[in-house]
Amino acid sequence: MSDFLQYTIFGIMLGAGYAIAATGLVVTYTTSGVFNFAQGAVGMVAAFCYWELVSAHHVPVLLSLLIILVIGAAISGALVERVLMRRLHGASSERPVMVTLGLMVILTGVATIVWSPTTERQVGNMVSGQFRLAGINIQYQEVLIIGVALAVAVALRALFYSTRTGYALRAVVDDPELLAMSGVSPNRMSQYGWILGFMMAALAGVLLAPTQTTGISIEAFTLLVVNGYAAAIVGRLKNIRVTFVAAIVIGLAENYVINYVLPHVPQNLVPDITYALPMVFLFGALVTLPSVRLRAVGRLTTMRAPRVAGGRESLVAGAVFFVVAVAAALVFANTLVKGTTLLDLGGLVMTLGIAGLSLVLLTGYSGQVSLCQFSFMGIGAFVMGKIAGGGSLLGLLAATGVCAAVGALIALPTIRLRDLYLALATFAFADAVAQGFFPDSHVYGSGGVSIGRIVIPGINFGSDSAEFLMVTAFFVLSALLVLAIRRSLFGRRLVALNDSPAAYATVGLNIGFTKVAVFAIAAGMAGLAGALYGTVQGVVGTTDFDIFPGIIFVLFVTIWSIRTVSGAFLAALTYVVLNQLWPNGVGLFAGVGIILIGRAAGGLLGVDAFHFRLPWVRRPAGSAPSVAAPVAVVGLGETRAAG
Amino acid sequence: MPPDSPAGGGSAALSVSEVAVRFGGVSALNDVTITVEPGTVTGLIGPNGAGKTTLFNVISGLQAPDRGSVHLFDTDVTGMKPHRRARLGLARTFQRLEIFGTLSASENVQVGLESTVKWWEWRHLRRAMPWKRRAASAGSAGQSGTGPSVGVAPEHPGSLAASTCDRLLEGVGLAGLGHEQSSNMSTGLARMVELARALAIGPKLLLLDEPGSGLDEAESKALGDLLAKLAAGGMAVLLVEHDMELVMRICDRIYVLDFGDIIASGTPDTIRHDPMVQAAYLGAAEPESGAAGPPGPDAEGEDR
Repeated sequence: MSDFLQYTIFGIMLGAGYAIAATGLVVTYTTSGVFNFAQGAVGMVAAFCYWELVSAHHVPVLLSLLIILVIGAAISGALVERVLMRRLHGASSERPVMVTLGLMVILTGVATIVWSPTTERQVGNMVSGQFRLAGINIQYQEVLIIGVALAVAVALRALFYSTRTGYALRAVVDDPELLAMSGVSPNRMSQYGWILGFMMAALAGVLLAPTQTTGISIEAFTLLVVNGYAAAIVGRLKNIRVTFVAAIVIGLAENYVINYVLPHVPQNLVPDITYALPMVFLFGALVTLPSVRLRAVGRLTTMRAPRVAGGRESLVAGAVFFVVAVAAALVFANTLVKGTTLLDLGGLVMTLGIAGLSLVLLTGYSGQVSLCQFSFMGIGAFVMGKIAGGGSLLGLLAATGVCAAVGALIALPTIRLRDLYLALATFAFADAVAQGFFPDSHVYGSGGVSIGRIVIPGINFGSDSAEFLMVTAFFVLSALLVLAIRRSLFGRRLVALNDSPAAYATVGLNIGFTKVAVFAIAAGMAGLAGALYGTVQGVVGTTDFDIFPGIIFVLFVTIWSIRTVSGAFLAALTYVVLNQLWPNGVGLFAGVGIILIGRAAGGLLGVDAFHFRLPWVRRPAGSAPSVAAPVAVVGLGETRAAG
Repeated sequence: MPPDSPAGGGSAALSVSEVAVRFGGVSALNDVTITVEPGTVTGLIGPNGAGKTTLFNVISGLQAPDRGSVHLFDTDVTGMKPHRRARLGLARTFQRLEIFGTLSASENVQVGLESTVKWWEWRHLRRAMPWKRRAASAGSAGQSGTGPSVGVAPEHPGSLAASTCDRLLEGVGLAGLGHEQSSNMSTGLARMVELARALAIGPKLLLLDEPGSGLDEAESKALGDLLAKLAAGGMAVLLVEHDMELVMRICDRIYVLDFGDIIASGTPDTIRHDPMVQAAYLGAAEPESGAAGPPGPDAEGEDR
């Protein structure tokens, strides 16, 4: 019994920490309409700053808190709103998600440089000591966290429902124009939302830091807040009270599972279950949501659509691309870069390019965001290596099929909801797979899985050149496939669904079916990419398909242009090259890049200046787009129409 | 309504019975009952905020009513998803444009034409393969015989059997503009793209939400002629419009909605002389003003 009480108190305390972070998410979302994926990273930075100040430099606790919360978090929150988010008004719906993800990888990237992950950093309790109540020991720190969380919740509720500013804060997302007419600046309200959100993220980070018994870690701490996502979802991203209660319930459930269930399961499954919990909670929360109402919003695409290459021109471009690859294979057959053959690196570019193409299909055409394409790659490589014995064409088929099926399962619970929830579900899935599934000793474990090169009777892919040309052929075929899909009636449907869901439904088309279908196809492509990645690299391990590299890759595709085949290829190239040059800085490049791109829907390839530099990207001629104009490209950028 | 009577043969194309919708404490529709007969143009008029768009959303399935029922050709569709209603022969346009802006005008129509095609069947996939010439003929997918047949003579744009995408575009006055990206088109033209797309699914009942706004006088007249022609072919048309001249000219029957209540219904003549209507609506917005009155955005139908 006393054990149960002890677990309950600790569970409530965990939940209180999640509650602070989750209500912070809700406050930012209600006031700005943006879900801040960087919430966990902000808490992580706050926790490390707290360690730096209190543990390393012995600054008094209260002064440290003042510095972190008021000077650090509040000012950064205001700056982020002013400098990053305000520019995104009118951008496509996935862009704010991408920018907050960019912020997240910047923060984790900087933290990795400043606080070397090899040092252990233990944060002590803010208040020491404990007291006995009803036969159990309760630490003052636990009381402090629960008390602070309650105080924050009560204060927020009072702010939102009893003050004029609170009414304005709640109204800002519903109708900014109406609010502006009543003399309140919607931008100011959004800024308050970001300030509050950052402060609460930092508060949660500082308070939860001492609970990390093995010391605070950048990755684990950044992802700690995923538990808060589920709570925020139960609160429908707008209800503070429900979010708070849900967070407490999740904290309790997590702690009960850890203490009552985990001791009875086989040892090797313990981490799997622990890391799968946030995903289980999140998917459980998704089921509680009511279906979103289709709204006729009168949204107009203001950008020029990227021209889609026709069948013959894409065939020609693909052939040219392959011929160039053959020449490269001949010239660079024996070139080594840091101990790896250049052609193997080229092979990685091609396989990642296929993963990028899956994003063109999914995000570029249909507008849905997936943050777990690397997870599908990992699953595909695993299937390739273990289930089909490695090195066989059957393995490629199996990898594609398994990933398509898994993809359909992930998309199913979210199809009746807004697109943001798919992004959240894929984030939770990527987290669970990277931390729980891949490290399992039956999956990749610590040694990784060897994957042989493909054996087709009569053709030998043993040499690096042959392997490189084979994956290049797969990339070209995938690119042709994606362009063919775009030209097909399915492609028209994807674009139509993205442009106007309401009109899509009222011409008799099934939104849910289309969403699941495209997500499954994209997942299958990523699985194929992963299987091929495995054949190039020979051995794949746990860290190959981590959540952060996966997100960084999505950002690179978006930066170059998520709507074009060229964008997918250039993103893969950038990713592989930067990883060779400065592995720790890849995230910084991606984060800064996405922020600089801002709301330019066409990415770098759509920026006018690039139309002069890249000979294959033709500048749109005049105002009348000519459908018949022959332009030979694998893919094209686009320009933003004025205004 | 005998349930066994053939669609279009005497039974109502649309019957809305005692539908009520509330947004928070505000009542948007109060026990609204209307009927639309095949082969007629029915007008739905009323001041801004009267609930017209909300009623359209209820009929097309974008808004669930709190009370009441909606029948399409004797089928109860009250809880049915929008895409299934469309497959029963319901098409609509939107007051605030809902075009597929990234697509060209003809591609917009194509999506409608192909709405019953199962894309995963090889005969459709094949057409997009790289070795196929670009821009295979637009409407051919819809001619596979699976498209909904309409009680419209083949020469009308609403008929799928004889019409390709080009014919539909020509029918709404967009001949030669098929390749334009639809988001670059003027509001008036974009409205016609929406209309052509709606006609492309071969509707038996067409809901038009202010199709005349943004049109000049000649275009408005052509629109009226087109709607009359569609009705003559057997289609049921429900029209929300502020252009009184257009409404009075082509409607067989008119309902007047005010603050969520139907305050009058009848022939154009009856409505013109109804004192309640004049008080509530026509008195405010000059009835004979000819060109499209200022439409003004309806704020109704927004959930908060």
